[in-house]
Amino acid sequence: MATGITHEESIRRVYRVCGILAIVTAVEIIAALAHYSWLGLSVEAQIASKLPLNVLFIVLSAAKAYYIMSEFMHLRYELKPLTISVMAPFLFLIWAIIAFSYEGVSWLQLRNWFG
Amino acid sequence: MADTAINALAEHQAAQSTEELWSGGQEPVKASYGKLMMWYFLISDTFTFAGFLIAYAAIRFAHPTASSGEWNAWPDPNEVFSATPLTGHAKLPLIFVTFMTFTLIVSSVTMVRAVQEGTRMNRKGVMFWMFWTIIGGIVFVGSQAWEWTHLIHEGMTPTGNPFGAAAFGALFFLITGFHGAHVTVGIIINMIVLFQTWIGTYERRGHYEMIEKVGLYWHFVDLVWVYVFMAFYLL
Repeated sequence: MATGITHEESIRRVYRVCGILAIVTAVEIIAALAHYSWLGLSVEAQIASKLPLNVLFIVLSAAKAYYIMSEFMHLRYELKPLTISVMAPFLFLIWAIIAFSYEGVSWLQLRNWFG
Repeated sequence: MADTAINALAEHQAAQSTEELWSGGQEPVKASYGKLMMWYFLISDTFTFAGFLIAYAAIRFAHPTASSGEWNAWPDPNEVFSATPLTGHAKLPLIFVTFMTFTLIVSSVTMVRAVQEGTRMNRKGVMFWMFWTIIGGIVFVGSQAWEWTHLIHEGMTPTGNPFGAAAFGALFFLITGFHGAHVTVGIIINMIVLFQTWIGTYERRGHYEMIEKVGLYWHFVDLVWVYVFMAFYLL
């Protein structure tokens, strides 16, 4: 359990994180629906605003992952070496994501060139 | 003389193992063996899911975007996921998956509450919160079954679908299916742990660390859903 804080305080923290996760999810859904229909955007405006919207989704999802890992999975209260040994392997994924996304774009170009 | 020394050593070792210290006589990173191994299992599982989601990204980038209007364009999630139970054919994009996401978040919260009651050795409290965690998991898997059934009725198969790129259906069934299997396994483990709490196994053991370990797995399933939700329903 979280060291140095009372039982009541740790319960409060859990419900606060629950509230944060619910609000962030609600913001994501509202942003997606506003972009899709509520704002009545033209097709050009929808295409133009899709990239910043996707960046927003990625940032908000990372925020949710941070709260789940730090509070729910209790990583915030563990020793630093444990946190580092758990988090460090994920650094490998950064390049995998970039490399395979480029690869995918390249497949599309090959398809377009060779039909 | 030698006998007493051997006996003393045996007693010393027995005392160490009951304290659950690792063979070095001290716990690495102040985590028990089981808890640390659960973390390392979750890292390996993260790489499995990351492999699936990166494959999803690569295959998706290899298709024209939804707005291109081409026959093999990647489908727009707002068009695909627009059905909700009890609303007939009303088009309600993303509403049902929002409900599923909230269910999983709430079941994560009830799991944390079970862990907290476990640290206070409150057997009734652990049982209460574990029960609601299991209910949350069942509601989630049930919702996923409904969504799959609906999409299969719409004509989505692993080899084709009426929305666009054929690979979309294959990846959807693979990744949400793999996640759903994880949730199902989690429900079964939670049920076993609830039963063991009920019969007093952890009470006798003197600690409720097992709740913490299955809790880590359950939160991991929630964590994966954040990214499955992002990849399929938002981006």
